[in-house]
Amino acid sequence: MQEFVTNNIKETNKVANDLATSLESGQLIALSGNLGAGKTVFVKALAVGLGISETITSPTFVLMKSYPVNYKQIKQLIHVDCYRLDASEDLADIGLQDFLDDPQTLVVIEWADKLDNLPKNNLINVKMEFLGQDKRKIVISSKLVG
Amino acid sequence: MCEYIIIAHLVYFVNSTLFTLFIDLVTIFLYITLSYYILCYNIFMRILALESSCDETALTILNAQADSLVLEKDQVYSQVDIHQQFGGVVPEVAARQHAETIIPLLSANIKSEEKVDYLAVTTGPGLITSLLLGVTAAKTLAYAKNTPLVTVNHMEGHIYSNWLSNDELVKNANKYFPSLVLIVSGGHTELVLMKGHGDYQLLGSTVDDAVGEAFDKVAKLLDLGYPGGPIVSQRANDGDCSIYDLPRPMINSGDYNFSFSGLKTAVLYTLERKKKINTEDVDNVCASFQNAVVDILVNKTMKAAQEFGVKSIMLAGGVAANNQLKESLQQEARIKDLPFFFPELKYSGDNAAMISVAAYYNILNKKNIISGKDLLSVAPQSNWQLFKK
Repeated sequence: MQEFVTNNIKETNKVANDLATSLESGQLIALSGNLGAGKTVFVKALAVGLGISETITSPTFVLMKSYPVNYKQIKQLIHVDCYRLDASEDLADIGLQDFLDDPQTLVVIEWADKLDNLPKNNLINVKMEFLGQDKRKIVISSKLVG
Repeated sequence: MCEYIIIAHLVYFVNSTLFTLFIDLVTIFLYITLSYYILCYNIFMRILALESSCDETALTILNAQADSLVLEKDQVYSQVDIHQQFGGVVPEVAARQHAETIIPLLSANIKSEEKVDYLAVTTGPGLITSLLLGVTAAKTLAYAKNTPLVTVNHMEGHIYSNWLSNDELVKNANKYFPSLVLIVSGGHTELVLMKGHGDYQLLGSTVDDAVGEAFDKVAKLLDLGYPGGPIVSQRANDGDCSIYDLPRPMINSGDYNFSFSGLKTAVLYTLERKKKINTEDVDNVCASFQNAVVDILVNKTMKAAQEFGVKSIMLAGGVAANNQLKESLQQEARIKDLPFFFPELKYSGDNAAMISVAAYYNILNKKNIISGKDLLSVAPQSNWQLFKK
């Protein structure tokens, strides 16, 4: 488990960038934190770290967006937002299982704490907390297998 | 009618003098020219459209011809009540509701032997599980009735909601092109240059949250319920927008992109600083927030209108219901002497009427019409990007 306290967006971006360099395909990043904690900012920086040139926009309304990637074995990034989902919601309903099973896909889920059926393996938890103005606490913990 | 005229003319021919023969030839010439005109430029069509891309299951039957669009049937079966319990759109609930409402909606509005010239359906962008219901119903019906199906882009539908509310556009659209369209909704914030029917250029869009989403999230921060837009703007009416100095992100970015995520976070900071907030504070926060949003949208729209020398400005999408936005754009457009169009309240949100009108102009341009075996491969396109840079 790693814990960071970042004082501005630049420092937050660095944490996301560093995480990006250590990522492998087939992994799942579960982001949690309240409104304004900086989850989308974090995903944007993660995408930059993965060399994605497209602008990452909020998937809140459409629930899921996909972006092509060319980084190590990773060929696509799936950006999911569970903000509008009910806690008991099954991810199969939005067709996510196909992406979770795909070894060339990296899945990032915002508001992942609303889900109780996340896979246990290859899971990286990122918890973000608002500490005031641009100050954030970021806790990264992972359960990696293989 | 055609047969009677021909018979009448045959009778004339038999009894005619040279003079009447001449008159006859003129009449026949006029008749043929007129029929050709009616066939080519003023085709009457009956279009049945379905929309199920998000919250609403909706059906419309449109009777369209060159300068008149008449809605014969128009029904929206809203799911907002259900979504209120969850604070947003729940796709599984949405899909189940579409499944439960789409067949009753069809059977209540059209008899199985009734004929329509075209079917139309929203195929994207939207929630895949919701889109699938409308698309499946429409293509099945099209195949069974041997009727061509028009696949319609939801955002293009929003643009054409303006044609439903402004007869002038139906009659003289070419006078108003190029037009600058500001599309604002829960999932979209886009500035589009419309050069003609079906001819679009994307000038800019949001780099993070959509406007409607920002309204929803601010409503959530203030614990005001869902959907956030109407509640926040209602509370803004009673508030003072000068109390909180909120930022206008990207207002001077030099392009036509937008950013609303930071504005939402600025509201969060404001609330954190206050700790305890009363009713008056909520009204003032709503007023200050709405004022910042309108400032950004109007500023960028007017800059683009100037740069591209447009002949009109149009507003579209669910946030077109926002009065302050409408009034500000109207006022600025008047200063620049530009016509300003916006959809009536009932057509600003998602509806099937706008889909039927977009389908009509697609048919005139011979675009996106599918028939026969090709119907089987029609599928929802949840990320359909119609507007290109």
